[in-house]
Amino acid sequence: MDLGEKIKKYYKEAELYTSHGLLAEALEKYKSVEGLVKSTSNIRNRQGILKQLSIKIEETNHKILKLDGPKTTPEVAEDAQSLMKEMFSFDDPEARGSSALGGAIALAKFGQYDKAIEEFNRLLEYENLRLEAAKNILWCWIEQNYTDYAVSLYQKWRKTKLFPQKEAESLQKYFNELMDKTGMDHEIDGLESQRTVEPDSELDDDEILDISSVRFILPRGPKEGERTELEISFQSGKYIRMIISRREKDLVDSINPGDLLKDIVFYSPVAIFSGEGYVSSKNEIDAGPKKGDYSLEIKIIKIVS
Amino acid sequence: MAVINLKNRQIECKLVYYGPGRSGKTTNLEYIHKAFKKQVTGKMISIDTEGDRTLFFDFLPLGLGKIKGCDVKVQLYTVPGQVKYKATRQLVLKGVDGIIFVADSLAVRREKNMISLKDLHENLLKMGLSIRKIPLVLQYNKRDLESKGLPVMPVQKMEQELNRQLKVPSFTASALSGDGVGHTLNQALKLTLQSLQNEFKWAQ
Ligand SMILES: Nc1nc2c(ncn2[C@@H]2O[C@H](COP(=O)(O)OP(=O)(O)O)[C@@H](O)[C@H]2O)c(=O)[nH]1
Ligand SMILES: [Mg+2]
Repeated sequence: MDLGEKIKKYYKEAELYTSHGLLAEALEKYKSVEGLVKSTSNIRNRQGILKQLSIKIEETNHKILKLDGPKTTPEVAEDAQSLMKEMFSFDDPEARGSSALGGAIALAKFGQYDKAIEEFNRLLEYENLRLEAAKNILWCWIEQNYTDYAVSLYQKWRKTKLFPQKEAESLQKYFNELMDKTGMDHEIDGLESQRTVEPDSELDDDEILDISSVRFILPRGPKEGERTELEISFQSGKYIRMIISRREKDLVDSINPGDLLKDIVFYSPVAIFSGEGYVSSKNEIDAGPKKGDYSLEIKIIKIVS
Repeated sequence: MAVINLKNRQIECKLVYYGPGRSGKTTNLEYIHKAFKKQVTGKMISIDTEGDRTLFFDFLPLGLGKIKGCDVKVQLYTVPGQVKYKATRQLVLKGVDGIIFVADSLAVRREKNMISLKDLHENLLKMGLSIRKIPLVLQYNKRDLESKGLPVMPVQKMEQELNRQLKVPSFTASALSGDGVGHTLNQALKLTLQSLQNEFKWAQ
């Protein structure tokens, strides 16, 4: 085969591999074509061809990086979730014969955490399934790296005595093991959760509109479960800051660093949208006209709609 | 795990298309979906949120009608091929009754075929199943590429490398045009129903 033919043949191969999504193979072939073209000088439009090849190589590299990058499991459409639930719940020993629990476990295993947690929460109502549901809820949060939130949830269940002694022990053992696996140092039995990992934001700074105020449900403390709306005093990309007056002590005590806010509504002058945020700091202001008030900072983790 | 109801004379079994990424598993199902309209009893669900890559599985339900006095339903699944989705493959394999291993005939995928077959073997073992006992057929896919001057492995060589010890039925195919897809499926169904017959004596 003469060189020109060989180049054509290899190029055709590379293109086919690309079209089949065989990116590593395509990359290798483009590179061998490039090598062949470089090794000869008597080829028409040599510079043009080399340019073209380097674009192909770069594109392929880019695609490979994109596919290999770390990524959370995507949420899938509802019919797919139902299928996961129905088809994969049957013989799971953890399901204790309950198809509802089995279905939710299947969802969790497929990484459909939000939906799974929603179902486990429902199952917390049933005494005989409560322990398994609780374990799975903690597992789901930890799988998503929301360790702090798992800890605070666990503490809440302890405090409210959701479980009888024996089950509480089983849950504690399970949770300790889960936490050991994360390798993070956590004070899970203390009442205050410690801040450790901050969840990464899925957003780039320039994706976020200017936000004028937020509304969310208070996660703990005297006002736990109540809605509050706060004005934004300062925003830097995905970080937003609010002031809470010292007179609203109950409000101040109802939110703490490390809290995960799953359902925030963001108001901007042009749109309303919702998403998740992480309380990244809460400090008493120690100078200026707002001295004694609190500055609360939330990092926007993701925008849902 | 087939669901067999001898009283109502119904059988529901599960076939899984296994194989390395991009070998043509989803394409097999798509062709079946198109070409066997009469047997398709529900919609095909493809969960490929990552462009065109199967991330979780594809699913296609079939109804074969009455076979030896029994109403036979089949669920076809595909697994995601890429190495990193091992856990999903294990999930999808749960309760499998028969397997179609789709190998890629492209020479560059030679090793990936072997790795995937080994992965299948290991995953079955974990579920207490043996690759030598479970109903299994091999499909050597993308044969059409040979005539287009692309480097494709000779069938004989694929037999040698993948089927020397297993000695299961094997088929050449071009899933894109549908060549061999039906044959492969038929044989897999036959083996599966036979094996269920040996176990459960469902046929009249
Ligand atoms: N030429 C040719 N291409 C095929 C054939 N089967 C699949 N493909 C292509 O190979 C690529 C991967 O196929 P897909 O079914 O998604 O593979 P899967 O990862 O095993 O599900 C796609 O671009 C298909 O169009 C075939 O028999 N011949
Ligand atoms: Mg696929």
